[in-house]
This record gives sequence, C-alpha cells and structure tokens, in this order.
Amino acid sequence: MNAPTHRVAGQRLPRLDGIGKVTGKHVYAADFTLPGMLFGKVLRSHRPHALIRKLDVSRAAAIPGVRGIITAADIPAVRFGQAVRDTSVFALDRVLFAGHPVAAVAATSLEIAEQAIAAINVEFEDLPTLFDPEAALDSNIRIHPDWETYKALPIIARSGNVSGRARIHAGDVNQVFASAYRVYEHRFTTPLVHPGYTEPRTAVADWDANSNVTVWSNTQLPFDTQNTLAEILDMPAARIRVIVPGIGGGFGGKLRIGVEHFAALLARKTARPVKVMTTSEEELTSAYPRQATVVTLKTAVDRDGHLLAREGRIVVDCGAFAGSGPGTAAISLQIMAGPYKTPALALEGIAAYTNKVPSGSFRAPAGPMANFAVESQMDMIAKDLGIDPLEIRLRNIVKEGDLGPSGEVHKSVSIEECLRRAAAAIGWENRSPEPGRGKGIACSWWMTTGGSSGVYVKINPDGTATLVSGAVEIGSGAITGAAQVLAEELSLDLADINVAGVDTQTAPFDYGAQGSRTAFSVGNACIAAARDLRRQMFNLAAGQLGAEVDAMALRDKHVVAGEKSISIAELARISRLTGGGLIAHGTAISPSPAYDPTRLQNHPLPAWNTPSYHAHAVDLSVDPETGSVSINRYVVAQDVGFAINPTYIEGQIEGGVAQGIGQALSEEIVYGEGTVMNANLTDYKMPTAQDMPDVECILVECASAAGPYGAKGVGEPPCIQPPAAINNAIAAATGFWLNSLPMTAEKIVKQRRVGQG
Amino acid sequence: MSRTNLDILINGERHQILIEPHWTLLHVLRNVIGMMGTKENCLEAECGVCTVLLDGKSVNSCILLAAQAAGRSVTTIEGIGNPEHLHPLQAAFIECGAVQCGYCIPGMILTAKSFLDENPGRRPSRDEIREAIAGTLCRCTGYRKIVDAVALAAERMSVEGAIP
Amino acid sequence: MSFDLHRPASISEAVVLATRLAPAARYIAGGTDLIIQINRKKVFPDHLIDLGQLPGLVGVAETADGYSLGALTNYRSIELHPAFQGNLSGLIEAARVVGGHQVRNVATVGGNIVNASPAADFVPALLVLDADLDIAGPVGNRTMALREFVLGPGKTALGPAEIVTSIRFARLPDRSATAFLKEGRRKAMEISVVCVAACLTLDESGSRCLSARLAVGAAAPKAIRPQHAEAYLIHQPPGRASFAEAGRLAAETAAPISDVRASAEHRRHLVAVMVERALTLCHRRIAEESR
Repeated sequence: MNAPTHRVAGQRLPRLDGIGKVTGKHVYAADFTLPGMLFGKVLRSHRPHALIRKLDVSRAAAIPGVRGIITAADIPAVRFGQAVRDTSVFALDRVLFAGHPVAAVAATSLEIAEQAIAAINVEFEDLPTLFDPEAALDSNIRIHPDWETYKALPIIARSGNVSGRARIHAGDVNQVFASAYRVYEHRFTTPLVHPGYTEPRTAVADWDANSNVTVWSNTQLPFDTQNTLAEILDMPAARIRVIVPGIGGGFGGKLRIGVEHFAALLARKTARPVKVMTTSEEELTSAYPRQATVVTLKTAVDRDGHLLAREGRIVVDCGAFAGSGPGTAAISLQIMAGPYKTPALALEGIAAYTNKVPSGSFRAPAGPMANFAVESQMDMIAKDLGIDPLEIRLRNIVKEGDLGPSGEVHKSVSIEECLRRAAAAIGWENRSPEPGRGKGIACSWWMTTGGSSGVYVKINPDGTATLVSGAVEIGSGAITGAAQVLAEELSLDLADINVAGVDTQTAPFDYGAQGSRTAFSVGNACIAAARDLRRQMFNLAAGQLGAEVDAMALRDKHVVAGEKSISIAELARISRLTGGGLIAHGTAISPSPAYDPTRLQNHPLPAWNTPSYHAHAVDLSVDPETGSVSINRYVVAQDVGFAINPTYIEGQIEGGVAQGIGQALSEEIVYGEGTVMNANLTDYKMPTAQDMPDVECILVECASAAGPYGAKGVGEPPCIQPPAAINNAIAAATGFWLNSLPMTAEKIVKQRRVGQG
Repeated sequence: MSRTNLDILINGERHQILIEPHWTLLHVLRNVIGMMGTKENCLEAECGVCTVLLDGKSVNSCILLAAQAAGRSVTTIEGIGNPEHLHPLQAAFIECGAVQCGYCIPGMILTAKSFLDENPGRRPSRDEIREAIAGTLCRCTGYRKIVDAVALAAERMSVEGAIP
Repeated sequence: MSFDLHRPASISEAVVLATRLAPAARYIAGGTDLIIQINRKKVFPDHLIDLGQLPGLVGVAETADGYSLGALTNYRSIELHPAFQGNLSGLIEAARVVGGHQVRNVATVGGNIVNASPAADFVPALLVLDADLDIAGPVGNRTMALREFVLGPGKTALGPAEIVTSIRFARLPDRSATAFLKEGRRKAMEISVVCVAACLTLDESGSRCLSARLAVGAAAPKAIRPQHAEAYLIHQPPGRASFAEAGRLAAETAAPISDVRASAEHRRHLVAVMVERALTLCHRRIAEESR
C-alpha cells in the first residue's frame, strides 16, 4: 500500500530539539539546579529480607551540613502502586529486597549526604528469603503478609505471593493434545535486564510559600508522578506541579516514582530545594528492570505444521513489589499466542513476589521474554517436521479478519509482507552459507498503547504555532513527529512549530510517553486541534474576505478562497485583537477493540489498540570453540502504518534492536543470595559500537484505521524479536538452540558439548 | 582539607578556581563552574558521557582529577561550536538523525572529534569509527546513524581542511 | 574520598615525598585504575603523589638491543607507534583492548603493571617479550624481570616509595612474531575473561619451533607463563597438532576462578583454545613476513 505523499508528515526532517542537544544547551533533569539547593541521598537495605530491629539516625543528624533526615516514622504509611497498591516510600517494619529504601538525608553537599548515609545505624534480623518465582507460588514464606489488606485494581487476581494471575482460553487444548500429530513441550528462562538509559533518575523539588511543590524530574509520566506524589504527600494533585526539563532516555524505566518523592519529602522537611540523583549502583540494584521470567510452552501441530493448540505458562518474577508484573504477565499471553491462528489456547500468566528488586515496564514488557519462547519453539517444530522456518510461519500467520487470542479481529494485517521482505533481504534461500554461520527469523505483533492525549495549539501573530502537550519527548522523536502532523494540518513548516515544555500545571492531560503511543496519540490530538483551528480561521476569514467558509482551504500558510487569501499570521493578529486569539484544544482517545470476554480471566489489557506486525532476520556467525557470536547482518521489516518521519523511525528500530541484542547475548542483572553481583557498568554488559551491525530497516506501511495518516506505534516492537531470531540463527549455525538468556559464549560452548557428548 | 588554586584553560578561556584535591574535572565543570554540557552517569569511565578533550585528546572527565588538568587545555561540547556556527560533527549528527535522547551526544561528538583530529583530512572506515567510539555507550540509537554522522563529518572535514 | 595531592617536580623528589608520607600515600599516574578504586572505597589514601608531570618517563625509545617504554607512556601512544607494526604487533593488539580511546589516552603502561590486576591485558604481551622493569627508589635504581615483579592480585615486588620508570625488552630475532588474543562477553570495553599472548620464533628452515613464549591472563591470580607448554614446543614442527598440545598443556597450569564473568571451567577451556590460536597466528605472520 502506498502512503499518501505529504509536504511535512512523512518527510525526513531534522528533529526540533537537535541543535540544543548537539551544542550541550539542552537541559536535562540531571542538569537542573536551583540556588540554595541541598543534595539528597537514600539509605538502602543491604539485606534482602529482614525485620528492621533498630534504626538510629542520631549520629547522621549530628554531622555538620546535614539539614534533614526522614524515615518511615516521619511520613504517613501510604501504599501506592498501579495494579496492586503494595509499595511504601520506605520499608516499614521490614525490608523486602536488597536496595529497599530505609531513610533519606538532605545535606549541603553530596559528600556530606553520603557520609550521613554511612552514619545511620540500622540493625536487621534476617527473615527466610524467597528468590525463585516458581518456588514463591507454593511457598509458606510470605513477602507481603498483609497482602489481603492492599487495594488493587478489581481485575487483578491475587493470592499470597501471587500478585496477579491472568488467563486466556479458547477451545479444549487437552482434547487436541490427545489426538494431535505431534506435541512439543519446552521451557525457557529470561533474566532481569536494565533499561540502560544513560541519564540517572533525577528530581529537584521546591516548596513555595503556599505549600505547593514543584518537582523537576526526568519522568516519562508527569501526570502519573503528580498523582502518586499527591498520595504520598497527602495533598491535592493540583498543588503539585511536575515539570520535565529534558530526559536522557527512559525506555519504560522512568515511568514510576523513582526519586521524586524523596526530593519532595526532603524539601518539605528542610524548607530548601533538594536534588536527588541515582548512582549507577542504585540503578542496577533498585530501579525498574525488565522482569525475569520462566516460560513453558506446550504446542500441538498437525503433520503440515499447523498450530492446533497451545498451552502456555509464564511466571513473571515481579520482585518485592508488584509493579507492572501483573500487567506484564497478562500481556505475555498475547505474545505467547503470537500473530498466529491457534484454535485452542490455554494460556496463563502469573506474577510472583520474590525478595529481589521490584521490576517495571522496560520497552515492550512481556515481549522479548514470551517471544523468545514462542519463536524458538516454532523453529524447533519446523526442524522436527522438516519444514522451512519461514514456510511454517506463513502457514500459521493470521490474515485480515482472523481472530486474535482474545477473540478480537485482526485488522490492517501485514505480517506476511513483513516476513517475506525480511527473509528476502537476509537472503533466506541460503540459510547456512558456511560452517558456523546461520540465519534465523522471528516475528511478532505488538500494541499501540491507548490512553488519552490532549493538546493546546495556538497560532501566533508571526505565523508560527505553539504546541502545548503533556507528553515528554524521551528521545524517540515522537514529539517532532506530532509537530510534523500539526504542521501538515495547518499548511505550516515544521520549523513553524514551537513545542512548549512539559508542565502539569499548564498542559492538558497525556497518558504518557510509554507504550509506543506518543506520536500516534499526540498526533491524533494535533489533528483534532488543527481541525478546530481551521474552523476558527475560516470563520474569521469569512468576514475578512467576504467569502463562504465552504469555499475555503488552507494552503501555503494562508486561508485561500478562490482568488482571495489571507495569511494565517494576519488572522492570528486580528483574532488577538477581536477574539482572544486562535487557540484550540484537541483530544484523542483510541477506541478499545471489541473482544470476547468469555475467553479471558483477570486480564487487564484484553485487546490491543492498533496492533503492529514485524519480522526480524539475522545472519550471524558462531565461533564453535569460544562460543563467541558475531552478527553479520540484521534486518527488520516493521509495519509502521505510515512513517511520519522515516529517519527517527529507523532510529527507533536500530536502537531497539541494539537493546534486543544486548538482552540476547550479554545483559543480565546477576543475583547471588539476594544481592546484585554486577551492580556497575563494568559488569553489566550493554552493546558497544563494536557489538552492533548496521541494522537494515524495511518500513512496511499498512495503514491503520485509527492512527495519524494511518500510523501505528513504533517504539517498542524492535526489541521483541532479537533473542528468538538470534537463537534461531545460532541453531542454523550450530544445530542446537539455547533455552535461557543471555545466550553467552559460555552457554554456547556448554550446549555444544552436550550435543556432542 | 585545604583548597588549592587550579589554573586551567577551558574552551580557550582561562579559569582560576579553588579546588579540593579530590575533585574530578567533571565535578569542577558541572558543579563548580556550572557548565552542564558535559554529562554525568556511571562515574567510572565505563559509559563515556563525561568525555571532554584534554589537549585535544578524549578523556573521561569523571575519573580525571581536576588537578591533573592544571595548566592544560580542556575542550567541552560548548567549545567546539554553537547554534549559529555548528562544528561539522554537530551538523552531521543532526542531519543523519544520530541524535535521540541526546544525553550521550556531547561525549560522543568529542570522542569522534578526538579520533578524527588524530588524522586530519583522512576518511576512516565504518569499522574504524566503531572502534573509535566504543568507549562511549549509546542506548538509544544502536550506533548506526552515529557512524553515518562521523563518516559524513570526516568527508566534509577532509574537503574543507582541518577545522580547529 | 579526600586526600592531599602532591606534584613533585622530579623522581627523587617524588621518592622523598613517598617515604615521608608513608604508609598512607599512593603514587598516581593516569589514575584510571586508582581513582575508581578510591571511589569504590577499596583504598583510602590520605596522600596522592602525582607522577604525571615528571620528565623523562614518557615515550617509546629504541635502545641498543630493543625498546624502552617510559612508564608514563599511555596506551594510545603505544598502539599507534610505528615501531610495533612488525613482529611486535602483539603489543599493539594488547594495547588496543585496554578500555576505549578515552582510557587509552590517559592510562599508563607503568600504572597498569603496578596495579597488578590478574586480568591486565598488557602484562601478558610484555611477559612473552621477557620484559624488564627499571625501578627507582630510596635505595637507588634497580632492574627486575616483569615475570618476577607481579606477585598476585594487586601485589607487586615494588618496595616502599619505589617507582617503575621504564619497561624494556629486546628486539626479536628473524622468523619471529607475536600475537595477542582476548575473549570477553562483548567486543569492546571488556575486562578479559581470558587473554593470551604468544611470541614464536622458528628456526632457519622454518620447520621447527626455536622458541615459544606464552602468557595467559585472567586465568590465575596473576598472568602466567606456562612453562611446560613452552618447553614442549621447542623443536616441534609448528602446526595444528603441536599448537593444540601446547594449548592443552597451558590449560593445565591455569588456576582460574569462577566469577560473574565466567566459570573456571570455561576459562580453562578458553586457555587451551586461545593458546593454540595465538600460536597459529604467530606462525601465519612469520610465513607472511618471509614471503
């Protein structure tokens, strides 16, 4: 399908914030300072599960330069959270993971704050620990003894150490298993990985004379942060103002409250502005990493490789607090079904508490973990049946109008095109070009997260437009993309769009820079605002030109009616004098697709808004003796609906694949007896420039019904398939698959020995 | 703990500052002088966002004592170009779409500049560029467009002559 | 962390200072190891004596029988030095993998040796050249073989207030080559899981090994010279069979640990593989040189 040619939208235009970023002028939250600012540090538990027997801050308080110390005793015992409200600011009577905050200090310098932290006396009495999420399901050890008293979303099913359990079922899998040609059963494990943003989580808080607080933070969700702070501070949200100066990457790791509450509480206690910034060690012990999981898949096929039934279970280790564990466990089910037709399904996603770091929503939560299992097994099935891995997928992929796992209807389906084009680009006919070298593919689908967005757009007398949005530009270029849509709709140039800073006080609500939704949703809100502005301008122009509104159009920054025209700038000037200015409020909300509720139990995200489809293909070499993997080529065919700005969409794909390659080959947060053993960047191994190939992007454009010009969400999908694609290529190169991530050289050498022995 | 006088050239301007001996160059730049273009993250020379040039060579300012830069010339991102007159690297990074969140970009540009300035006028291969920037981590871009940008800048710099 | 920083103008001044301020004084060269250790609260010096400005300690010089590296020479200078492009290319290969450019523009050869990490990449490359260290100190100057200098993790035979001033090694005879290999969990910015250096010399006919020197890093408390493997190779025909056997013998002498980077078993396996490959690389380089 050809996308319509647009003047601005669809063009490779430079991003609006580029010059600031390359000259060092762009201010990030980490750069933000206020005069008289204090520095805050958090004392964190070094024990994974223990009662707090003693907490004595007196020695710390006596250190010159220490201005305030807070502990649980100083604040209301509020519990907050999304799916389950189980989290407290500080540990109450016990610590639940190594890294659990116990106290916070504000001092006149960072060094003094660190000294004060070291001077706080805490005594712990160890409790029995639980580190294995599968063991947690049946264990008598209770991480949250009072779990029943916690509030939670009604949809979430909880019990004991289970913070959420969701199911999808269709047909009768057991009947099919009994009679199917072949049934395959496999188990896979994936570790904790960190989002890896290069800017530490930071907040600066300052209270004013009216007891209102402003918090400057690099949060991806300023309104969610505002709400959570309102609960913690026990005050109306309207008196809390969250401003995002700039953010150095988030990837879902800067969604939820990180240090904003410490900054606000310390600032209130000391009556001074306070800045709190995480260290690398805190990031790797106490941030919001991707959950570790265990996935078991049992799949029945006929002799031609058609999927007949799938029973799947994912156990998601959500750590000490539920976080996005329940949601991740639930979304995993759609990934476990894949973009495939499978008549019988029995899928279960369980989130379990353990005494480890509470986890979060790193890019495509559930995606890489469940996809690693599904797409690796697909190739194992293909090999066993003697079917080409591309062919077996083509036999099973959904087509337009097919039902998805929740009984929703697949629309704007492009998975076949993605698979064929990725396979063609990698040279699929020659899958093992030489010994130790192989090619693999993997495919998936993913959502464009819904939620509402609002924007204000005003036209200025100089002919520019100001866009006020509550959505943060986290680096993806989505806000530039939304601005391109706005410029397109108003016949302006991208350079005519000024984007206001993100400020909860003045911006309309936005559901947040998460879930691949920003360009989609803010773009739609811009279209709505532009529609209203056109109406306002045409009405005003009618009087000025003596022409009918129906005869008008916007062209070249003018309202044109036949031979007559008047510039947008002039209309804005006139409107200021006569009508308060040209300004519009545009909103957007994506309609939820219809689905069959009888298939689902306790699933918080049953049907996806505007799903996208994508396929990855990789060509790699495996050194059989050292196990070292070198990626020769990597191809992605991703359905983006409409490429609002191909350059930044490619950037999302290239960067997402890098994160996926890191997850596939080298990244994991390693726990030993409840403490992180590699809490530094020396031993948490993200890909360097020498680890990455030049990722090749094929942008497939299968227009969506709901997105701006047919766009679909873009940001998350690229990190989903790399682990499976790489596993399949390793298998093509060596003859064996791995079943745990990361697929390190050592594991490859070991597996090869197992195969030979 | 007595403070000593640090005499240092930053972007061609002379600074005389009282420092404590253990202060790093990064701390002095950001927290004492208030130049925020140089970024902070891991503070252990693993990520490269703190990269500045010391006598033209890229160094991790997070582990360099400010005193070690005494009497020497430091160049930060603020010193190689400005919005009205961008350095070819800065312009190329924008043109090639190599900037996403941007937090690694000052360090990345200076890492590349140090490398290109070792052989003015030469056009390195993509593999050589990858090797040169391996000490600066980017989590957003996957490096492809960064390599594009450095290659483009090298090409332009080889045509126009070495840019200081 | 806080300390007093001293900037002596000469080696003798530095030595006097270090003697006076002992035991809470440390020398600092580039600082790329030391500052991180101070930040991580592994060491707590009250005084740092900055050697960075001392004259005469930087540079690569040709001597009568070989080369001398000033102890304060940084790795980037070494990897770019034309003198090592030939049969000493193993030195370049080892220098190149020390951190990234930013680290290599600052980190010094001497500082790295004295830091004595078991995983130090450059130490094996120097060991196969039988490098000697020149040392200045309160009781005068002395020379010591690098092989005897490193004693264990973070431990060397440096006496109180002593400073390594240069590293010397002899030119290689004809029909010689060096090679350095490293394995890690990614392709750059790595602490070695295992690293191996080799120096091979063939006899006049080119069909027998005259001498082989091997060094293995990150597989024992310090870099090791596997003597059985070296002795075995003398008079052996160069090739896969003898090199594989040398690898096997070298692996037997390794004493690796298991840590978050790799298991001992995997390290031992890598030693055997990488010794064989390093020797094969040397052999190929000798063959190419003689063409």
